[in-house]
Amino acid sequence: MLAIERIVRASPADAPPEAPLVTSIADGQRLVIAAACRQARALGIAPGQPLAQAQAMVKGLDIRPADPLGDEALVARIADHAARRWTPLAAADLPDGLWLDITGAAHLLGGEARLAAAMQRRLARAGLTTRIAIADCYGAAHGLARWGKDAVAIVPSGEQAQAVASLPVAALRIGAEIEERLTRLGIERIGELLAMPRAPLARRFGMTLVARLDQATGRAAEPVAALVPSEIPAAHRRFAEPIASAEAIAHAIVGLCNALVLRLTEAGLGARRLRLAVERIDGTVQPLILGMARATRDARHLRRLLDARIETIDPGFGIDALVLSAIAAEPLAATQIGSDDAPDLAPLVDRLAGRLGPAALWRSAAVESDVPERAVRRLPALAAPRGGDPWPAHWPRPIRLLDPPEPASAVIALLPDGAPARFTWRRRIHRVVCADGPERIHGEWWKRSTEQSAVRDYFRVEDDAGARFWLYRRGDGVDEATGDLAWFVHGVFA
Amino acid sequence: MSSYVELQVTTHYSFLRGASSPNELFATAVCLGLDALGIVDRNSVAGIVRARRAARDTGLRMIAGCRLDLDCGTSLLVWPQDRPGWSNLTRLLTIGKARGGKGHCILHWDDVADYAGGLIAALVPDLPGEATDAALERLRAIFADRAYCALSFRRRPRDQERIAALHAAAHGAGVTPLATGDVLYATPENRMLQDVMTCIREKLTIDQLGFRRERHADRHLKSPQEMARRFKRWPDAIAATAELAKRIHFTLDDLAYQYPHEADPGLDEQQTLENHVWAAVAARSDASQALVDQLKHELRLIAELRYAPYFLTVHSIVRFARSTDPVHKGDPPKIPILCQGRGSAANSAVCYVLGITSIDPIASGLLFERFVSTARQEPPDIDVDFEHERREEVIQWVYETYGWTRAALTATVICYRPRGAMREVGKALGLSEDLISALSTQLSGWGGDGPGEREIKALNLNADDYRLSLAFDLARQLLETPRHLSQHPGGFVLTRDRLDSLVPIEPAAMVDRQVIEWDKDDIDDLKFMKVDVLGLGMLGCLSRAFELLETYRPQAPRTLVDIPHDDPLTYEMIRRADTLGVFQIESRAQMSMLPRLKPKHLYDLTIQIAIVRPGPIQGDMVHPYLRRREGKEPVTYPSPKIEGILKKTLGVPLFQEQAMLVAIHGAGFTPQRADQLRRSMATFKVTGGVQHFRDELIAGMLKNGYTRDFAERTVKQIEGFGSYGFPESHAASFAILAYASSWLKCHHPAIFACALLNAQPMGFYAPAQIVIDARNHGVEVRPVCVNASRWDCTLEPREDGALALRLGMRMVKGLANTAAAELIAARGDRPFASVTAAWERSGIGAGALTRLAEADGFHALGVARRQAIWALNGLGDAPLPLFATIESDSSGEPAVALKPLTAGREVVEDYVSTNLSLRHHPLSFMRADLRQQGIVRCGDLRGMDKKQVEVAGIILVRQRPGSAKGVLFVTLEDESGIANAILWPDRYERFRAEIHGARMLAIRGRVQEEGLVIHVVANRVRDLTPMLLGLGERDFKPEVSRADIIRNPPARDPRDFPKAREPGPGSWPWRPTIPIQTRDFR
Repeated sequence: MLAIERIVRASPADAPPEAPLVTSIADGQRLVIAAACRQARALGIAPGQPLAQAQAMVKGLDIRPADPLGDEALVARIADHAARRWTPLAAADLPDGLWLDITGAAHLLGGEARLAAAMQRRLARAGLTTRIAIADCYGAAHGLARWGKDAVAIVPSGEQAQAVASLPVAALRIGAEIEERLTRLGIERIGELLAMPRAPLARRFGMTLVARLDQATGRAAEPVAALVPSEIPAAHRRFAEPIASAEAIAHAIVGLCNALVLRLTEAGLGARRLRLAVERIDGTVQPLILGMARATRDARHLRRLLDARIETIDPGFGIDALVLSAIAAEPLAATQIGSDDAPDLAPLVDRLAGRLGPAALWRSAAVESDVPERAVRRLPALAAPRGGDPWPAHWPRPIRLLDPPEPASAVIALLPDGAPARFTWRRRIHRVVCADGPERIHGEWWKRSTEQSAVRDYFRVEDDAGARFWLYRRGDGVDEATGDLAWFVHGVFA
Repeated sequence: MSSYVELQVTTHYSFLRGASSPNELFATAVCLGLDALGIVDRNSVAGIVRARRAARDTGLRMIAGCRLDLDCGTSLLVWPQDRPGWSNLTRLLTIGKARGGKGHCILHWDDVADYAGGLIAALVPDLPGEATDAALERLRAIFADRAYCALSFRRRPRDQERIAALHAAAHGAGVTPLATGDVLYATPENRMLQDVMTCIREKLTIDQLGFRRERHADRHLKSPQEMARRFKRWPDAIAATAELAKRIHFTLDDLAYQYPHEADPGLDEQQTLENHVWAAVAARSDASQALVDQLKHELRLIAELRYAPYFLTVHSIVRFARSTDPVHKGDPPKIPILCQGRGSAANSAVCYVLGITSIDPIASGLLFERFVSTARQEPPDIDVDFEHERREEVIQWVYETYGWTRAALTATVICYRPRGAMREVGKALGLSEDLISALSTQLSGWGGDGPGEREIKALNLNADDYRLSLAFDLARQLLETPRHLSQHPGGFVLTRDRLDSLVPIEPAAMVDRQVIEWDKDDIDDLKFMKVDVLGLGMLGCLSRAFELLETYRPQAPRTLVDIPHDDPLTYEMIRRADTLGVFQIESRAQMSMLPRLKPKHLYDLTIQIAIVRPGPIQGDMVHPYLRRREGKEPVTYPSPKIEGILKKTLGVPLFQEQAMLVAIHGAGFTPQRADQLRRSMATFKVTGGVQHFRDELIAGMLKNGYTRDFAERTVKQIEGFGSYGFPESHAASFAILAYASSWLKCHHPAIFACALLNAQPMGFYAPAQIVIDARNHGVEVRPVCVNASRWDCTLEPREDGALALRLGMRMVKGLANTAAAELIAARGDRPFASVTAAWERSGIGAGALTRLAEADGFHALGVARRQAIWALNGLGDAPLPLFATIESDSSGEPAVALKPLTAGREVVEDYVSTNLSLRHHPLSFMRADLRQQGIVRCGDLRGMDKKQVEVAGIILVRQRPGSAKGVLFVTLEDESGIANAILWPDRYERFRAEIHGARMLAIRGRVQEEGLVIHVVANRVRDLTPMLLGLGERDFKPEVSRADIIRNPPARDPRDFPKAREPGPGSWPWRPTIPIQTRDFR
């Protein structure tokens, strides 16, 4: 259910999905159902079923691609939450489970039953259905949570064996192959296995089965690696007296930056995005968000970026506290100081972006397209130039492209494919002395319907003053559908 | 003659490169005022014959050629000047293809130099420079004054400069400049399709394609005036095209075909054939005067048309199949291969006396010249069916006998069908995988107009989505475009001279096969001889049956011919529609027709086989015929001429030949025109290939005084033949096999069932139904047994003289043939005494034995299924000799009590491991419950006409024939038999989830009894699958067979997707379930 509920959670609350919802995943050559909502299952659709067949059964199925990684990330987030809220010893039990060691923690929250109820409530609020089992050992709890009758099962201490006896052997985590073999022999419940002599079992099914039996009954210990809850690196500064001056804020920022960098260094992280929360005495919080082109934990650099933004802070009647947090951080290894070959552009980019706005900075890259406007693309300023898109060198292209192309008037040219002999552009008459063309460029028909038949004939011309231009005519000069024969100057050569 | 000839035209036989068919190209060329086109496909001449046809239809000239892409990257265009030149080209391509393997061609300059004689060549240069100069030099050295340099405008910067430089370079090297258009498609509009083809070829989406698109614009055909205008600076290049065309004398008509040499020493072919024929007649005791007269007549006709070699070749092949001579010296004698000829000329007296067919042409009144007429001027058509498993022997014999250089299979051109076109175009346009699969699923019933509004609506798609509408549009354009060449299943071309001097030969995907580049229509067109060597499962089955007859019933017939004719018991059985497993007349549709047609003679079966076909059904010929046969309608003929043609079928045209004859005699078609009609019936499967004959036919028939009604019905039927033509001669050959298999089933049911089971997979029914049917006919069927079964099913004589059928180990799922063979060899005459003994003596490992245990194969030792599995699980793969006693001694183990299987579970396990059970039908376990629900047994429907009933059963077949307009037929099976239900489209829509999701259904509806045929017209459907799952212990889950998704619906097997397992009570993990093989047909 997790996969489905995650999709339902993500969709807007005011638009409940009408259609039965399923997720699909590729299984070799075919697509199969990965998960199905209650409604879909009521219609007979089940995980593992080929998608094509499900579609034949139910019309109007809402099919989403399965996202196992997204599901895992959600489980990890819930585990993180559990580790902070309910017990320090929590771990994700993928694909859709959670393992919590509540030894010594349950009584703090009112006992096992109340803890379980609280968890269920909390996760229900998040739109998730839960099944909870509490037992002395992991094996029993795992099986009961997945295969037991009750949504909440609490096994009294020492009674695991009885509790798991009625569960199917699949609850033992022994793998489909052993499950199948056991079932073939008519051994279906854990209780039946427990009643059998162990040596013949081990001989036929290996030690895994015996070990799993022991783990389910608590006869063997099972270590589980607990997760360490994550934290957002942050630094706080609370002022005894409210501050309001730019100098005071700048001073505080120095301290905050140093403290944050310390946290980041400990965690081996670099900040990609900073949030400075300015808490004023009137109770309002003014957030200030900064992005960095590359992960960094350079205190001076952070300070400079923040300093540049101080003027945007409105202190009102005074500032109570400042909280600087790295809301987006990436792992960043320690670097050698002073061994640089090339100057690091990142600080410069950050500062320019801080001043001009991020949209004003980019890097150009070539795109494999014949349409000149589409042959260039903007990349983030620090993106590595990729080897895959070399700039085409074999065809002459103007140094400067006009955007948009500018109309040329009074063009004299022979149809269908003669070069212009004369044209007027920006109120000046150009007499062409030599020309090359046409270069025929077709519209990219798959982008827009209007480009299906569009044709441009490009000409490279030189006028009597030695200036060189790139002109084109809309249309191939034969078929009207290809263009209206209007002329444009699209670029100038150096 | 205009001054410009377009010499560089690529058709769509340059797969996924050229975007237009030869027809489109020539039609466009006519409009543009071109006189001739030179066809140059890439390393191939696959499209040449079609191009010739297109040229003939448009009155233009086709210049055959080829574009050779050499391994070094150089491309040459070559055109054969004369016949030797053509042979050089085909030999060259054959060499390249042999080197490159399937679908590739590797050639070097040296090869070109070796085979340059008679060829004119032109270099396709890229940019001027040293490489081009060197290539020109080389070309000049090889081809001397036959060397040209192709100049084409690319519509890219510096075009004029480039052409000027190339022109100068060509002159410098002494090579003649030649203007070409480098044409990839007929008109500018085809450019999008060409881009999509590039995407498919490069396996990229159009957005990713980038510079891999064809980057030189204007690849369509241009008029001579336009070319002259463009090349006005180089008029010599334009003039060179016409000069070049004048130098070429070769046409495909020069390909004189020679039959392989078959004559006996000192005699010519005709004499040899006559000797064979009269010798065969002398050997027959029953040769009547009528037969002799007919033979004389046929031989005269054969002599006149010089077809003797053809008959001799077919005779040789059949003689080989029938012979017992060892294939190689020292081999043991060969077991004869059962075979039968069919096809138009097969049903001649000559073929009959030579044993090629078993149909007596005198008795069945088939006339030879109907099929081999002087007017048709093309070789007769004989297909020979062989036992499916042994066809390969015949094929290899043909290669060995006629030589690898003289025999090859014909190709079949694989074209884009609706689903494939949609899938590929969808991928190229970057539609999502889900959408593509949904679209192509919907498209299964794609008719002539292709996908459109209806599919979009059915899938709730946005019709305004640009990409989507593009996809539909382009998929429609891609439809019927050739995708690649494949091998014909058995169409052989045999020649006297080297075959590769007629046509390029390439190695096939299968080892030891080689294929030519032309398909069977092309071969027909060029009047080459072709023999079809086909495989037929039923012949294999009959051959097995004859072997068994020889062993167990020595008095019984031993060949097809020996089977008594017109056996009344057999026809009585056929009339009861008791024909499960029998050839051809076993399908639902055929069975429901049998009680109405009431066959009494072989010819009735011929009609029966031909009538239940889309052609006659769509042409609405079935009911008139039945009415006339039942005497409910007078048999009338529109004219005496037509009476002669249609008398046998009571005035209703049922066969393809009759349609042709009606066209000739009724509408005044010439035989040639009728032949074109026949060809279009066979070739154009999708759109109205017959359409343009329509008006002509109707007009002709009206003129000759036939009613419009009759004319229109005839046309409609001829259109129906377009989807599936069935000539009388084929039907007659099939009828023989249908009769032979019916006779076996009637008189030797055990032998028939045994042969049929061993010949699986074939036919319409699964082994479970064959076994049930055999038991219904009183055959004792014995289970798989470790001590009694062999690999194949066998027969065991009983004390009462009857034969019991012993299921073979081939029925056991997962048991390998080799393991079973070792086990049987180890068994010898000494039965195994215990599970451990079988393991020790056979040494085949516990795994293989476990498969047998799962099928309850140790039952005879008194070891139950689970105990046997338990014991085997405790054993290793192979016994260790030294520790044998210690290792295998499980006696020291504590005893383990395993739950015995319930009766229901036994059945389930039987189904899981052998797909059938000899115990009880699954439904017999729930009969009490079903009865309580008011459900009647499938076998009790007789006499309940017009009553409302509810029946329940396991779904055997779901069939939604294209001709039945959305009606679904479902066949249910319970312990008493089967019931057939009909769902009208609205019911189907209402219950589609149940129908596709369930394995067991309850259907309520009205009984419709028509003679022996009973249907339930459904109005309510319930899914009873949970009951089936609960069989025995209420703990089963259905399992999907891995074989085929659509065929075996619901996969609720959590093993398929353990991650998404649903927790909760009653949600059990793995359970064996009944893997009933529902078969879905269209």
